[in-house]
Amino acid sequence: MNNKIRVAITGIGMVTPLGHSTEATWQKLMEKKSAIDTIQLFDASHFTAQIAAEVRDFNFNIGIDKKLQRSTIRSTRFALNACEEALQDAGIRPTETTAERWGFSSGSAMITAEYEFWNEFQKKYAADGNLDVKKLAATGMSSISPYDYAAMQNNSGLGLMTKQFNIRGYTISVHTACASGGQALGIGMQAIRRGDADYMLAGGYDSMINPMGMAGFCLLGALSTYNDTPQTASRPFDLTRKGFVLGEGACFMVLENLEKAKARGAKIYAELAGEGNSLSSYRITDSHPSGDGAIQSIESALCDANVSIDQVDYINAHGTSTKMNDFSETNAVKAVFKEYAKQIPISSTKGQMGHLISAAGAVEGAIAALTIAKGIIPMTRNLNVPDPECDLDYVVEGPREKSVNVAMSNSFGFGGTNSSVVFKHPELV
Amino acid sequence: MKKRIVITGMGATTATGINLEQSWQAIKNGESGIRPITQWNVEDWEYKYAAELKEYDPRTMITDRKLLKLISRQDVIGLAAAKQAIDHSGVLEFRNSLSDVTEFNDRTGVYIASPGVKFNQQYDLMPVFAKAQGDLKKFGDVLFDLVHPMWLLRILSNNVLAYVGIENNFKGPNQNIPNHGISGTQAILEAFQAIEANQMDRAIIVGYESAVEPQAQTYYASIGTLSKESLRPFNDHRDGTILAEAGAAIFIETLESAKARGANIYAEILAGAIVNEAMGVFPISENAEGLQRAMQQTLTKANFTANDVGMITAHANGTQNSDASEAYAINKIFGNQIPVTGFKWSVGHSIAAAGVLETALTVKALQEEIVPGIQSLTKLASDCQGINVRPEHQALTKPTALSIARGFSSQHGCLLLQKIE
Repeated sequence: MNNKIRVAITGIGMVTPLGHSTEATWQKLMEKKSAIDTIQLFDASHFTAQIAAEVRDFNFNIGIDKKLQRSTIRSTRFALNACEEALQDAGIRPTETTAERWGFSSGSAMITAEYEFWNEFQKKYAADGNLDVKKLAATGMSSISPYDYAAMQNNSGLGLMTKQFNIRGYTISVHTACASGGQALGIGMQAIRRGDADYMLAGGYDSMINPMGMAGFCLLGALSTYNDTPQTASRPFDLTRKGFVLGEGACFMVLENLEKAKARGAKIYAELAGEGNSLSSYRITDSHPSGDGAIQSIESALCDANVSIDQVDYINAHGTSTKMNDFSETNAVKAVFKEYAKQIPISSTKGQMGHLISAAGAVEGAIAALTIAKGIIPMTRNLNVPDPECDLDYVVEGPREKSVNVAMSNSFGFGGTNSSVVFKHPELV
Repeated sequence: MKKRIVITGMGATTATGINLEQSWQAIKNGESGIRPITQWNVEDWEYKYAAELKEYDPRTMITDRKLLKLISRQDVIGLAAAKQAIDHSGVLEFRNSLSDVTEFNDRTGVYIASPGVKFNQQYDLMPVFAKAQGDLKKFGDVLFDLVHPMWLLRILSNNVLAYVGIENNFKGPNQNIPNHGISGTQAILEAFQAIEANQMDRAIIVGYESAVEPQAQTYYASIGTLSKESLRPFNDHRDGTILAEAGAAIFIETLESAKARGANIYAEILAGAIVNEAMGVFPISENAEGLQRAMQQTLTKANFTANDVGMITAHANGTQNSDASEAYAINKIFGNQIPVTGFKWSVGHSIAAAGVLETALTVKALQEEIVPGIQSLTKLASDCQGINVRPEHQALTKPTALSIARGFSSQHGCLLLQKIE
């Protein structure tokens, strides 16, 4: 099956805790900076985890109409900026004649209603903590804004972005927790391959650094509680890790038919060459210790990209900094790459920017693609005490110069969905 | 060679039946499941009607008692429908006959159409808000006393996906699609395409929804899309849609695989398409140009002309704009001869579940060669002229049906289904 249409990445846009653009994010990655700090967005001093990787001083600047803006929330504003950057970067955008050939696929945010909304709602309609349906019936209609309701839909981001950029082709919004962004890239690639679109804007966005999102993860005990040392709180593959650190942001890519991109003289970061998508079917939050599930997604992605195990030059790990993930992912890499496993540099950028949940797969996929264009791979920050059970080359010393022809990004979600995507140098056949 | 993909199992739980057969019989008998809401006291409510499940008994719907504590009503509905379709397909018995099940499991996908909002789980945090009164220190202090530690997992959008996988050990490609009214159609189409692309051999597809909820009821009413008592698609006096609960599921696989295991085959999926009108979250265009494109693309992909289609299952949600623009688009592409029906007048609008539920009901119509009438249609509206929709049943003369779904964020989808002889 080597007759697949090849798909190029011609534009990348990012809003991350490290920077408000792709270049700014990359720069901070190379400077080994950590974006993790005490939470400033709200008073988290009485939460078990009080730290996060926030997007600070964010300037929502893409100029959208007022009505549309009223239906945005923090995560969709990140997404709109990232989409605009990706389109500018690609030097192409939907026009009246091409709009129907543009599609959109996104991993959408986990929680869509914001704290402020629920705080107001509770005061009005749940004064004693229970929903008062009489009160809702009496005043609900007049005091509830359709804009809030629009924003609250899980697919509202899709509605905002397709309108803002005039995207009129195949559109889809998925949510598989932390695998969402990676899946959205794979879906975008498939849509171009099968001819449903010539261009796809594909990526993910999320923001859970609010009292509700933090509450959810604190209750589960999933977050790192190194509250006094935020800069070193996210420790992927380190023996002393205590859990992940929440991040937020968005990343979108412009995907297009590689031959057509070449013909228009577009700059090509990399080919999005393959995707793998599997379900662990093990436990709701735990991954299988053997790597089962992740193994299938990695293998399918390699097969789809027509790449052999000795060809992979870099893996951007899911690497959440939880014992369960790091151990399981390490075992999956060993199972798939066998004698090559220890020779492949593998790093988790979550050490520097935390876990962007639905956006993670998109941001990390873009970073993997950028290693091909830039010839440097980012490090795993804060890995100081090696875990004997995690014994691969995690790039601990700092960013490493290396010529990368094939790179992979893994994302594994709550609920057991695994997504792997493979990127190739555009000249590699 | 292009793969042929067929439906070999179906299940549903709706306002009119605890299974697909009951729901189908209700449509044939002209019965509707639209009734006054029972899940909360609607005494003071202007909009009192919905299509709640005919029977909701979680302990018969879910056998795993421990799981019941971790999931919500809508998840139960989804899992129950999934189990019905999987049982109906007989695929587990077939798997159990294999000496090595690894490849089977790895090549079996799970595609889920999910609700876009989980209001009920958000209410679980209201006691914390009430105690905290805006003081976030207090919020943090009382959190662990007032909320279940697994709260985030109850609110997780991909719960049904996870548990359908765990219960059946299906481990192939998967998606969870919370994409409003086109979710179900898109879940079927994405699974269909994944089989075509040889990513897997078969999949369970589930749509589930529990849209009957006080806040949802309020919002849909406030944007002028809700009816006060009934759902009358294309009718002169139509005043909106009716929200519903439903779960529906279908099992699909390649024709080759279905034949090899001697499965009953109910219909073939020929093609489908989804397009966007780029108008934002709520608006739809008057001429439904997006829907026209989706219909045309679907026909083109299947190498069909409009005249090859025997019936159309319209979105038919009973709102002013949707019905009028839909009738216009159908007339534009298909003219006024092909029989048109819809099912929401009977089962309500189950948003994310609708695409899967209406696909399953359309398959029943193809099998029995009946285009069911829309019982609530008394007089075709002046803005819905030019389509062949009737209150009485019509005979199906060609074994192919087009099913339409429309949803928030300007999206329109179609699937083309064919009876298998």
